[in-house]
Parts: sequence; structure tokens; C-alpha cells
Amino acid sequence: MNNPISGMLTAILMILFLSSCLPQHSVILVTDPDGRIGKAEVITAGGKQLLEKPGDMTRVSGSPASPSSVMTAPPDYIAVTFAEAMAAQPLPPKKFILFFATGTTTMSTESHAAITAILTVCKKRGVTSIRISGHTDATGTDQFNEKLARERALLIRDLLLQNGINPDLITVSSHGKGNPLVPTPDGVAEPRNRRVEVIVQ
Amino acid sequence: MKYYVFCLLIFVLTGSTAYAVQGDPVGHIQTLNGHVSILRGNSTLPGSVGTPIYHSDLIRTAKPGAAGIVLTDGTTISLGPNSELSISSYLFDPKEERFSLAVRMVKGTFVYLSGLIGKLSPNAVQLSIPDATISARGTKLLVEVQDN
Repeated sequence: MNNPISGMLTAILMILFLSSCLPQHSVILVTDPDGRIGKAEVITAGGKQLLEKPGDMTRVSGSPASPSSVMTAPPDYIAVTFAEAMAAQPLPPKKFILFFATGTTTMSTESHAAITAILTVCKKRGVTSIRISGHTDATGTDQFNEKLARERALLIRDLLLQNGINPDLITVSSHGKGNPLVPTPDGVAEPRNRRVEVIVQ
Repeated sequence: MKYYVFCLLIFVLTGSTAYAVQGDPVGHIQTLNGHVSILRGNSTLPGSVGTPIYHSDLIRTAKPGAAGIVLTDGTTISLGPNSELSISSYLFDPKEERFSLAVRMVKGTFVYLSGLIGKLSPNAVQLSIPDATISARGTKLLVEVQDN
């Protein structure tokens, strides 16, 4: 057992033995419900691996080691290991957008129908949260827009409360001119950004 | 009624930063199967559909058991059986463009799907598993953490 090859073999066997004892963690990148694919980087003290294609998988066992080189996750491993977690995935949220006249909390006529649609969805599914966010376009001061966006969001909140929605489910935020539907430079009037988004989960 | 008006007033005054305030739920349990519990401080509470999740809660599923949670930014994470997870950092303040999401996956199986934080500030999302961290840039991931 003194020649270099058998020494190396012993070392490899040792590593295999050790790694089979250690718990192994797997990270797999998959396509999201919109058909998009993001990226994920897995980092340990010993190195990192980038996942960038659907099905890319790397494994981690023990801290000093680098994550394993990227391989394609076997479909049967995914199906067996993640069956329960995948079945428990929450339904994708339903988003509604309500539009407003410039500088006001006056809702467009079509948006009144959206309120009815929101109430229908709330009755149909077991709703656990309703997130209301107010937005403005990029005209006016930040301070004015922050206040206007909040007033728009609170108006919608009140309409839902008047229709019997449980206030505990609702969270309200004001984005001011932030997070626009259609990005514009400052000072540009853009009707599509004067809105409230309601996300029903 | 007075109390309600007072609360509403507080809500109006603080509405825009509601998410950032410690003490507000960071999300809810949306789906549930079998037994799910929440470890909050020293107490263990039973989880059910609609149960709010707070910062630092440890969510634990039994075997059999599974749960799906939704954070206020729309991030969803589901847990398979015999799994444990906590939200160790959460900040969703779009107006101030302040975002942070750190999820600690202790053991079990998980499906992670990024929400608005992942979309608006991809670098603000960090998932950690024993011995590694995962920077998830706007995506869906399957994670298995084997128990010791």
C-alpha cells in the first residue's frame, strides 16, 4: 500500500466515505410560473456554483467543501423528494389594477367593475391577504404623490371594508411615484401609473 | 368605536411604512396539510390557514405535514413534511426602496418562488441552508436540506 496510486485510491475512498456520512443538501433551479428562469448562486466557505438553466442542481455537504459541480437534477429525484412541498405551493395571487383621474382620488368608471371582481374573487377562494398599494405618475412633488397614493389606496380599502371584507386581511402601502407600471422620466403625466394595485392571495 | 377610529388614525398615519414596523405580520399561512406549528419565542402555536407569520417565527411541519406561506411582498415558500424554516430578516418598504429578505431553511424540503423583493431588489434576497447561502435572483428554486 505504499505506491502513490493506492494512496490516492485510499484518499478518494475516504472522501467518498466521509461525504456519504454527511447530510447532503440540494439546490435546484426551475422555471417559474411565468415561464421565466432566474439565476441562483450557491456559496460555501470553499467555493460557489452558479445555477442558470432549468434543472441545474448543485449539492452541498459540509462547510469547507465547495458546492458540487452543476448537474441536471434527475426528474424522478424531484418528483419523489418535492411532491408534498410542490402540492402545498400557494395559488398564484390575483392582481387587479384600478385607475384614477390626474391629481385626484376619483376612480375611472371601468375601475368600479374591478371592485366587484375583487369582491367576487374574495368570496370564491379562501383569502388570506389583500395587499393594496397606491401609486401616482411622476408629476408633482414627492410629498404630494406619497400622500395622494396613500389616499387612493385607503379609498379602495374603505370600499372593500364597506362590502364586508375582514380588515385583518388588508395591508396598505403607498409607493408615491415609485414602482410605476410604465416607467417615465420625472414630470411626465402617465395615466397608467395613476393607479391602485390590489393583490388578492 | 373610539378605539377603532384611533386604530384607523394610527393606520393612516403609519400606513406607508406599515411593512417596516416590527410587530406587523410578514406573511400568512396560505395552505396547510397535516400538522404545522409555529415556534414564537418560547411558545409553540398551532398553525392553520390564515395564521399570520412574524419575523423570527420558526415554522415547523410534522410528518406527514406540509404548508405554503405567502409573504406580504408576494414571495411564496412551501414546506414539505418534517421541515423547518424561519424568516430571519424581512423589510418591504417600496417607497423608500428598502428591501431585505433572509430565509433560513433548517431542514426538510422547500419550494421558493420570489416575490416583489426579488423583482425590485434581487441582491436583497438571501436564503441560507446549513453550510451554504443561496443568492436567488428572481426565480423559483427547490431546496432539500437533509437532517443530521
